[in-house]
Amino acid sequence: MSDFITSIKENNSIVIIETNGYLNNVGGEAVSAVVYEKMAQGQTKFLINMAATKIVNSIGVSILIEIIEKLQEVNGKIGYYNLAPIVAKTFNIMGLTKYSTVYETEEAAVNDL
Amino acid sequence: MASEFNINDLQLKYLELETLLDITNELNSFDQISVLLQEILVKSCGVLNASSGLILIEDDNSDVLHIGADFNIDISVLKGLIFNKRKGIISEINESRKARNIEIEDDSFLSKTQCKFGLIAPFLDKKNLVGVIILFDKESRLGLSPFHDADANMLSAIATQASVAYNNIKLIENIKEAKTFNDNVMQSIVTGVFTTNLMGEINHINRAAIAIINLDKENVLGNHYEYVFESNEYITQLITKCELESVTISESQILLECNGKSTTVNISVSPLMNDSNEPIGSVVAMEDLSNLDKLKSTFKKYVSKQIVDQLLENDEMLNLGGQEQEATILFSDIRGFTSMSETMAPNEVVETLNDYFNLMIEIIFKYNGTLDKIIGDALMVIYGAPNSTEQDTENAVLTAIEMQEKLIQFNQDRIINLKQPIKIGIGINRGKVISGNIGSKQQMNFTVIGDSVNLASRLCSVAAADEIIVSGAVWKKVKYLKSFKSKKLTPVKVKGKVKPIEIKEIQYNRPEFQYELAYEKIEQFLLLNLPQQYTYHTIDHVRDVVIQSERIAKKEKIDKSIIQDIKLAAWLHDVGYIWEPQRHEARGAEYATAILNEMKFPKSKISLITGMIMATKIPQSPKNHYEQIICDADLDYLGRDDYDTNSNNLLQEIELVKKLTPKEWLQIQEKFLKAHSYFTTTTQKLRNQNKNIVLNKIQQQLKNK
Repeated sequence: MSDFITSIKENNSIVIIETNGYLNNVGGEAVSAVVYEKMAQGQTKFLINMAATKIVNSIGVSILIEIIEKLQEVNGKIGYYNLAPIVAKTFNIMGLTKYSTVYETEEAAVNDL
Repeated sequence: MASEFNINDLQLKYLELETLLDITNELNSFDQISVLLQEILVKSCGVLNASSGLILIEDDNSDVLHIGADFNIDISVLKGLIFNKRKGIISEINESRKARNIEIEDDSFLSKTQCKFGLIAPFLDKKNLVGVIILFDKESRLGLSPFHDADANMLSAIATQASVAYNNIKLIENIKEAKTFNDNVMQSIVTGVFTTNLMGEINHINRAAIAIINLDKENVLGNHYEYVFESNEYITQLITKCELESVTISESQILLECNGKSTTVNISVSPLMNDSNEPIGSVVAMEDLSNLDKLKSTFKKYVSKQIVDQLLENDEMLNLGGQEQEATILFSDIRGFTSMSETMAPNEVVETLNDYFNLMIEIIFKYNGTLDKIIGDALMVIYGAPNSTEQDTENAVLTAIEMQEKLIQFNQDRIINLKQPIKIGIGINRGKVISGNIGSKQQMNFTVIGDSVNLASRLCSVAAADEIIVSGAVWKKVKYLKSFKSKKLTPVKVKGKVKPIEIKEIQYNRPEFQYELAYEKIEQFLLLNLPQQYTYHTIDHVRDVVIQSERIAKKEKIDKSIIQDIKLAAWLHDVGYIWEPQRHEARGAEYATAILNEMKFPKSKISLITGMIMATKIPQSPKNHYEQIICDADLDYLGRDDYDTNSNNLLQEIELVKKLTPKEWLQIQEKFLKAHSYFTTTTQKLRNQNKNIVLNKIQQQLKNK
């Protein structure tokens, strides 16, 4: 597990990934590695806790889009919670929120996903 | 589907603009440079897809930049490196002042980051480089790449905004720092300082001023100076004058009354001007003189005012060390004080010594002596050190004479109050001494030491009570002065000297019994001690008897020298009421004998005084003309117009012991008046007629009862 991923847990068949730091090329690749590995094991629902990620760049966003594309192929879903305002804004501008959902809390996410 | 997910350039531009807008909006909300720099760096990296970044910012007063913020980079590799504005890539950006792409490997320092591509933009303060922002390795899905020209424009725009914010925070920090500095300076200075604005309201005040004004800071700040200094019209006038005329005014030794506290201050009021030289208020500085006053006052307990002023003007005099010089040393000692004090209560011993020392030290300072030590009941005084004058020895002798003379008066008071008189012996010597501040730095005393000092002490031991013994060296210095007389004494052998020492006794005026002084002291004694409940035997009655005695004696052609004895007896005739009203004449006679003996009153005349006191006992029994006079004076009021007042006072006093009916009182008065006769022709002529009228009136009243 890279430094960017601080924990991976499951709640109600949802894989919850906790990140820390810059969601850029490196951070994005770390997330995608975990997601693809879990997908290979049959998991289709993912939730990212971004409380410790205060900045994201477009490369990180583009990797998340790639993940969404892969998940759509298996009717999977991904969501995010604990987003910093600048991260939420970036997700919004970059169109990410059209294909995935930002939640307020883990509970809300688990109930919806 | 895939095209739906592509991030197009428009979105990226939109993100860049939003980020720039965010930065612009947020920049002014930061009040710490470190937070500002971190935020700029993080957002710049995010929006320009940089994998990491650094901000280098200037050190104050040097060309060196330090790391102000870092993002996603291991800065330990840069530790210890000096980024100089005049070297490498930073030097180039310092000259061009424009953002540009850089090859990291070209820079020996930045290449340690292992990054490949860089984008650098300057932070400027006006035209000066204050820092740089460096982004590393632009990310793409294909890997790391150089930044684009558009990225340079974007970073340049961010850096421009950031520079403004940075300079603002820096300015605020500088202002805060200057304010803190000014506040600290203001608070630390011992001079009280406050400022007023154009409205006359106090807007700044330091701790020292608050202490002087003696009000809480909250009650001072924001209030008009006329309110704060309402009891100090003069101060408000000074500030008003400064406001109106824009002039600096200084005044010394102004008494400030604030909230029940009086402080003497030196005050200075100056106009406060802005950059355009327009008045914006006043600044008032107050120097509290209390401590200086306290210092002087404490110091003056030991040395004369003259020496205090010299020491305050020249603190070199306070240096430790010593010098050999000529000085005159006076020692005085109370004779028999130890045995005297054994019969006294401890507080009485202290009170007596304090009264005595107060009197003596006043004389010492009058003649510029320096009180070196008080050793028990003894005094050591220096003349001629630290500063010598031609009059040192003369001053010492004058001090000794005045000490003895003043002590006579002092003792009159003690004798009247039935206290033992204080007798002192004084010894004076002159010679070489070592003078200086002797002791440690924590505690030092100015003193003199040496053989001459020891001899002065020995001479003091030789002196009997009331004597002033001086050495030959002293007499040699003062013998030409006509005001001094001496008596040669047999040379004495003193401890520590092989040869006997030649000594002289200084003669001084030892006045005989001083009647006026005695009258004054007895009057004070009666005033303080006659029982308050008495309405007849009061100080007023005694004063009346004194006046009538003198008047009758003069009319009876009594010699002046005897008149003063008659007056003395009159002053003393009722003193026994203080202790034993029933036998007050006898008690008064005993008291008179005791004090007159001590006061050098001629022994042959003491019985004259006691005889007069005893003669006033009712029924009066005068044995001589003088006793007749005092007897008539004592009952003079019987034939006077103020008879009723006096008799009423007497009735009130009698009724303290026994209640009388009006008739009983009339009967007592009738009996007394009928039995009484004046003895002197003077009083018979003056008072008999009126006395008979009084008697008839009383008898008439009795008939009506």
